[in-house]
Amino acid sequence: MDSRRHDSRTDPMIKRASFLLLFAVAAVGLLPGAVMAAEDGELDALHHSANAYYLDFSPLGKMQLPRIFVVQHEDGSYGLELFSSTAKAILEGGFVPELAIEEEHTEVDSLAGDDHVAAAGDGHVMDAGLYGGITLAQLEAHLHAPHGAHVVIDMSISRHLLFAWIGMAIVILIMTRMAGMYKRGIGRDTAPKGLFQNLFETLILFVRNDIAKPNLGDKTDKYLPYLLTAFFFILTCNLLGLVPFGATATSNLMVTVVLATFTFILTQLGGTKDYWMHILWPPGIPTFVKPILMPVEILGILTKPIALAIRLFANMTAGHLVILSLIGLIFSFANIFGPGAGYGVAPVSIAFALFIYLLELLVSFIQAYVFTMLSALFIGMAVAEHHHDHDEAHGDHHADHHAPSVA
Amino acid sequence: MTVFAASLLSPDAGLIVWIAITFGLLLVLLRKFAWGPITSALTQREATIAESIAQAEKALAEAKQLQADNTKARREAEAQAQAILREAREEAERLRGEEVDKTRTQIQQMQDSAQAEIEREKQSALDSLRAEVADLAVQAAEKILRANLDADRQKKIVNDFLGDLSKN
Repeated sequence: MDSRRHDSRTDPMIKRASFLLLFAVAAVGLLPGAVMAAEDGELDALHHSANAYYLDFSPLGKMQLPRIFVVQHEDGSYGLELFSSTAKAILEGGFVPELAIEEEHTEVDSLAGDDHVAAAGDGHVMDAGLYGGITLAQLEAHLHAPHGAHVVIDMSISRHLLFAWIGMAIVILIMTRMAGMYKRGIGRDTAPKGLFQNLFETLILFVRNDIAKPNLGDKTDKYLPYLLTAFFFILTCNLLGLVPFGATATSNLMVTVVLATFTFILTQLGGTKDYWMHILWPPGIPTFVKPILMPVEILGILTKPIALAIRLFANMTAGHLVILSLIGLIFSFANIFGPGAGYGVAPVSIAFALFIYLLELLVSFIQAYVFTMLSALFIGMAVAEHHHDHDEAHGDHHADHHAPSVA
Repeated sequence: MTVFAASLLSPDAGLIVWIAITFGLLLVLLRKFAWGPITSALTQREATIAESIAQAEKALAEAKQLQADNTKARREAEAQAQAILREAREEAERLRGEEVDKTRTQIQQMQDSAQAEIEREKQSALDSLRAEVADLAVQAAEKILRANLDADRQKKIVNDFLGDLSKN
């Protein structure tokens, strides 16, 4: 190629090449840190996906989150204990971490002088495996209240809670901005304007027209706010898990259980007389079968939200586990066959991880859709005004048994 | 490691409470500040669009009706013009025929009157000739009677007279 003739073209090409180079350097530069972390037994897929009381900015360090405990003292009185970090709860509050037997408690006392240096990312302290004066095991451990008191409820700000709050803030910011645009008349009297409004309007209309309306019919307006909130909250939380140093609040079973409970409560509150009749005394079948079907139907009420919670949790956890396992493959190879094998397997692992990452991006949308879709379906089945028709009743049962099988 | 694995599924009452509060709050806030204005605006816009389409369709139907009316009116006008033209042509034809007839009649009349004139002239000529002949006969008879002439003379007179007569 004649470089002089392609002068104008080579410029962006050089830019792209330099970007790739930068990326490669960054990746290679980050690898030793990750390898070191892996050697410390830190890189564990489950551990990374699980909830914790710190933000992990490895290899820069960890930022501990505030701990809040509701405790019951020895005399029976309740109290609230607040600490800015787990380290402070242990070192100043006297909380006792529940450790494996081989961990030495006295070790902490001797190092109590070292204060939160690790949180700032000091490599020296990190080498010692200390975070604000406590070990990682202590940071991860379940805490017990001192002096005979016991923790009634641990209201600490965990990683997943913080990311749920970030998700909430993002959704509120986006949607109030959207509402502001509509209030000004953009999109109401005129066509929607700009990428921002068009993008989110498409999603809102999708939830309304393709999820809510087919399932809820004329009751759409009543349940649409819930479905929209659930959709955007879940979607934002799912996507936050794909951000570097981010966490997926929806990969926590507690979070999905709460979301499913909301759907469950709305379903039961909206249930018509027909809905309860179908459960407690199903029509269109011989009387002697009815007592057998009743517990099955009651079980059915519960399996729906349980399936909803587990589906979202499992889907959002699985992708991360696969990515982390693929990355972990590099270190496994490095440990077994030497560093060369680790570097050799890295491109393959990263390519696969990238593929799974893109798949996760897709799954984030799909799971937000599926959760909202099934919520709309369950609520819709409960609030629908049935006609006492055997065929329709049969159709409903059919739907009942099929819905939870959606993965 | 078992601790880590367990933490993935371990119950966490605090988180449940926090998330319930968080999601409930999000639901209330968005319902009040976002979904209301957004969905009402969308509904309003959809209604406006539906109305506009209905109006456009109505206008189109009206335009089509108008066009049909116009076409019909033009056809009628054309037909009318055709009829008028045809009528005018027929009228002209009729007038021309009448004129020809009239002229023919006039010519006929003129011919007739000329014929009659000729006849009358002929009659009067004959009458005057007859009178002349009678007159001449009388004159000849008078001459014969007056002169008392011989047979030759008489013959000669009569021949002369006849000769005169034939010359006239």
